Amino acid sequence: MLNTHKIRKLLEKSGYIADGSIATAVLLALGMEKPILVEGPPGVGKTGLAKALSEALGFPLVRLQCYEGIDEGKALYDWEYGKQLIYTQMLRTQLDSYLSVSANLREAVERLAAEESLFFSQNFLVQRPILRSFLSEGRSLLLIDEVDRSDDEFEALLLECLSDFQISIPEIGVIQAKVKPLVILTSNATRMISDALRRRCLYLYIAYPELDREIAIIRARFPEICKDLAKQMVEFLRKTRDLNLRKPPSISEALDWAQALSILSTSRLTPNVVGSTGGAIIKHQNDMQKVMELAEKELIE
Amino acid sequence: MERIVTRFVTALREAGLRVSPGETLDAVRAIVLGGVGERSSAKAMLRMTLVKRVADFPLFDLVFDRFFRVSNDSEFGEELDDLLNGAITCFEEGANVLEAYVHIGEERIRLQVEGEYQPGDKLELESLTEVGDGGLESPEMMVQLKGYRGRGAPPKPSQRYYQDPNAMRLKVKRRQEMCFTFNDEELTAMEDVVSRMIHRLKKDVKRTHERQRRGKLHVIKTIQRNYRHGMVPFLLSLRRRRKERPRIVVLCDVSYSVSHASRFMLLLLQTLHKHLMDVRSFIFNREVAEITDLLTNMPVNSILEAIDDGDIIDLDENSDYGYAFVAFKEKYLKSLRGKPAIIILGDGRNNYNTPNDHALGEITERAGYTLWLTPEERDMWDLGDCLVERYGAYCDRVEVARNVAELSRFVEELFSSFYQDHCQRNRKNLRFEAQAEEPSAYGTYYIRRKKAATS
Repeated sequence: MLNTHKIRKLLEKSGYIADGSIATAVLLALGMEKPILVEGPPGVGKTGLAKALSEALGFPLVRLQCYEGIDEGKALYDWEYGKQLIYTQMLRTQLDSYLSVSANLREAVERLAAEESLFFSQNFLVQRPILRSFLSEGRSLLLIDEVDRSDDEFEALLLECLSDFQISIPEIGVIQAKVKPLVILTSNATRMISDALRRRCLYLYIAYPELDREIAIIRARFPEICKDLAKQMVEFLRKTRDLNLRKPPSISEALDWAQALSILSTSRLTPNVVGSTGGAIIKHQNDMQKVMELAEKELIE
Repeated sequence: MERIVTRFVTALREAGLRVSPGETLDAVRAIVLGGVGERSSAKAMLRMTLVKRVADFPLFDLVFDRFFRVSNDSEFGEELDDLLNGAITCFEEGANVLEAYVHIGEERIRLQVEGEYQPGDKLELESLTEVGDGGLESPEMMVQLKGYRGRGAPPKPSQRYYQDPNAMRLKVKRRQEMCFTFNDEELTAMEDVVSRMIHRLKKDVKRTHERQRRGKLHVIKTIQRNYRHGMVPFLLSLRRRRKERPRIVVLCDVSYSVSHASRFMLLLLQTLHKHLMDVRSFIFNREVAEITDLLTNMPVNSILEAIDDGDIIDLDENSDYGYAFVAFKEKYLKSLRGKPAIIILGDGRNNYNTPNDHALGEITERAGYTLWLTPEERDMWDLGDCLVERYGAYCDRVEVARNVAELSRFVEELFSSFYQDHCQRNRKNLRFEAQAEEPSAYGTYYIRRKKAATS
């Protein structure tokens, strides 16, 4: 029997430090077979959660990256027209002999119609990510990344897939998921996601982590960073997040920074260090100035 | 257990959150599944299933803390069932749910007053209206309440108009702008309105694009596209016609007298900028300044502050439309591409300066369409120094717009007529030029101009 504690342990093994609410969300999603909608500032580990989960639980990861204009042909399934054509070409002689038995045209049409389903069978179906995850033998993890980039039409398309775990294909019928996959949707909130979709999901908001968790995250990835430096880094980062920057540094930036510092084998932060490695956490010129001012103020003793 | 959850959901609903029955079921299932362990995990489970927006988290926390009150703080790890029972008895003691919320969410309540009147709000209302002797109707009070720029400072010239008690009474009905800049709720509401509008418009855009694409076959592209089908042309590629995008130029009066309307206009503009439109925005009081770059790069609240501080243009002068139009004509008119649609927002109160309406005439001549939006009611137009009637003669349309909904409706109408016009013109080109032209707001304008040019 899983519990939140175990989930946290499992995730920690694959390098993801989860807090209570993340673990609870995963537990519920597994138990209730419901998708999780993850929101939060960019770079805070939304996609990372899905990757770590697939590793920790041993579910193969099926990833669907959303973009403007994505449609069912890209997300669910598509027909292989070319293959269908080639098959008809190649089977022409077979068809001729098969149809020559029939006495008249009507019979020939009927005979052909009886075989129609051959051409719209799963042989000619290209599986796109959602269908692939539904048809996989074991339980898989379906990551629908950055749903907010897609259009409303696509969101409506997701509703059927996510609430009933089925896909209707007009030519074949309804395909049920063999094993219901664990679904994770991520969103950067560039667009409001409809209430209909929200209702079908568990909602998880990942904020910037607390002090201890962020230190743990950095130390888990880069054990060579000593505890004091990690603490100093995180405290500094938390202050920069309050500066009202255009792009506040988030966990992924923190990790980049940690890597930079470990390559330079730095042992403590000084304004100089911030100046030379600031590119890892700050992505705008104006932000850099503010951060330098902060560094001058905070890091000189 | 179910009863407790449903009661909690009711409490959430009363606090103003929208929770569906399906979500309530989810919450029950979640609790059954996750078990009632620590308080924090139970809270996480309920929050995950019942609340689907970050913005609603604080309210949820408040309601949760109030509902599952712990009698002794020391018993933190107490069984949730006990907590729940405790909560229920506490509620059945007769504590009215609503009264409980009066104390928590003052913010919320104030919002509710605007919408529905609820019995429990009365108390709150009474405490709110305790203002000075003059009451709400007194001019000074009005200026203070509405948060006109330069709060506390002596009224600026353009505010004099508002101190006339009669005019004041007319204004009371208008939207009440208590705050200086936009709060998050307003921003998201606006984002919502505009994104819905953009969504509707996009369909028009799509349709025009489809029509535009309907041309001759592009042989090379078609072959390239059908490579994987063995060159059998399943998918056609057509030569495109010249792409036409709607261009908009907005002239927004930011003087004190129309500040409440121009703020919304600016917000609308920024959201448009963010999305798809080719918009150039100008603000004026007496001088004119272009703020297109600012709108794309700065959050709207800081732009508003910059404007209010007079960093961009001087706001202490009386607004002078005539001067502004001449300045715009000389400085920017040449740089406008194509035949843009021009939207002018202002009350046309010229403070008895030279109207210079010929300049507006020249500007509209360059435009495909001109729309004047004024925040004032029609019956106020010929009072005092208002020149809307006079300027309006040059415009294709003059409308009264007082709030976001109306503003965005007019802008949307403008866009869709713009697209329709393009469709019509394309079709017309296909058929024959000399055909009788269909009457549309845009179309008639062109006929008028064309005739004027030929005669």
